[in-house]
Amino acid sequence: MKTLLTTMLMIISLSASTALLAQDNPLRVGMSGQYFPFTFVEQDELKGFDVDIMNALGKEMGRDIKYETANFSGLFGMLESGRIDTVANQITITEERQKAYIFSDPYVYDGAQVVVKKGNTEIQGVEDLKGKTVAVNLGSNFEELLRELPYADEINIKTYDSNLERDTALGRVDAFVMDRVSASQIIKEKPLPLALAGPTFSQITNAYPFRDTESGRALRDEVNQALATLRENGTLTSISEKWFGTDITQP
Amino acid sequence: MDVLNVDYMLGLVPVLLRYLPLTLQLATIGMVLALILACLFAVVRVLAIPVLNQLTIVFISFFRGTPLLVQLFLFYYGLPQLVSALTVIDGITATIMGLTMHFSAYMAESIRAAIVGVDRSQTEAALSIGMTNGQLMRRIVLPQATRVALPTLMNYFIDMIKATSLAFTLGVTELMGATQKEASGSFLYFEAFIVAAIMYWIVVELLSKLQHYLEIRLNKAYSR
Repeated sequence: MKTLLTTMLMIISLSASTALLAQDNPLRVGMSGQYFPFTFVEQDELKGFDVDIMNALGKEMGRDIKYETANFSGLFGMLESGRIDTVANQITITEERQKAYIFSDPYVYDGAQVVVKKGNTEIQGVEDLKGKTVAVNLGSNFEELLRELPYADEINIKTYDSNLERDTALGRVDAFVMDRVSASQIIKEKPLPLALAGPTFSQITNAYPFRDTESGRALRDEVNQALATLRENGTLTSISEKWFGTDITQP
Repeated sequence: MDVLNVDYMLGLVPVLLRYLPLTLQLATIGMVLALILACLFAVVRVLAIPVLNQLTIVFISFFRGTPLLVQLFLFYYGLPQLVSALTVIDGITATIMGLTMHFSAYMAESIRAAIVGVDRSQTEAALSIGMTNGQLMRRIVLPQATRVALPTLMNYFIDMIKATSLAFTLGVTELMGATQKEASGSFLYFEAFIVAAIMYWIVVELLSKLQHYLEIRLNKAYSR
């Protein structure tokens, strides 16, 4: 019995001390690795806008960044269960998410964009999505944006874990909705016959979510401070220019 | 349709090969544990050990009756919500747990069928010369049951190798996860996924060869 108790105590103290150590270093960041050009993999190397920004933040905070990649639909579960500290995957601040998480200051300002197969003149913007099949990423806020439209029940929304660009190009769906920045990037760089349809239809701001706990709040404050420094010294702007040729980090 | 980008495919082979060991590791560990568990379940069921038998029936019913992906999510995301210390279950562990329990439920039934399939007169003969239940199982029933169960168990192993492709949902970058990430970086979906498909295929082909060899060995006693 006594040995059992001591073993238990040892295990508890061990796990407590590892928890303390984990607070010093590294910041565990979740991303899908499947959201070009924000987070993607080429020849086994994780790259993208979000990777560059996170690395710069890590340097500023003096912390190592440990990347965990998983399908997008799994990322919030990993955050919720404490396996990662935040998600760097263009997470848009929404009311619903704010109920569950606290957010850092925004680091990307963007708009929602309808994208169609090249040559589709029928859809010229979000108003033309009535009666159409529209793809969005599972768990992304674009689904919510579509559902908020007054004619939402006339839109057939299809949710994807990945590869929705491909299905739109193949004509399996009429359009997809994504943020303007990555949509333009995909059209510019990738061999898919796609085109932007009309102007953006909703302002979106993206930031890093954290758990609403004491350590989560502390991390958020630390990230905010580093973000402010990077914004002032022009690092955010130069990373954005590098990937997009324009500054998406300013409102 | 563009022409296949063969250079990209060739370049992808060494990259994806790095993730094949993890895929095989997940499946092999899962298979060994599932076999042990399934044998225990089968014996409990055949001997109809009270209480254990009922528990086993419920276990098998649950793990056969729900999708593997649901079980993986339960282990990985669900359990830590109830008991926060269970965050120690990492993606690899959760995947192995899921594979083990899911497939042991199926395998228990095919092992049970193989055991029951051994002629009753042999059991009676063994008991009549004073063998214990354990000796009966070890010396008479299990060797014969193994031969009968082998093809279906191999089937489950092959299925398990392919089921590891669900692990990326838990953040485990195995063969499928690596392929998905590469594909979304290049947008060359066909090229990326056909490379992955061929890799799975080759592995399964090798296993089928192994199965063939094992069957010949186990059938030796029966050939004339």
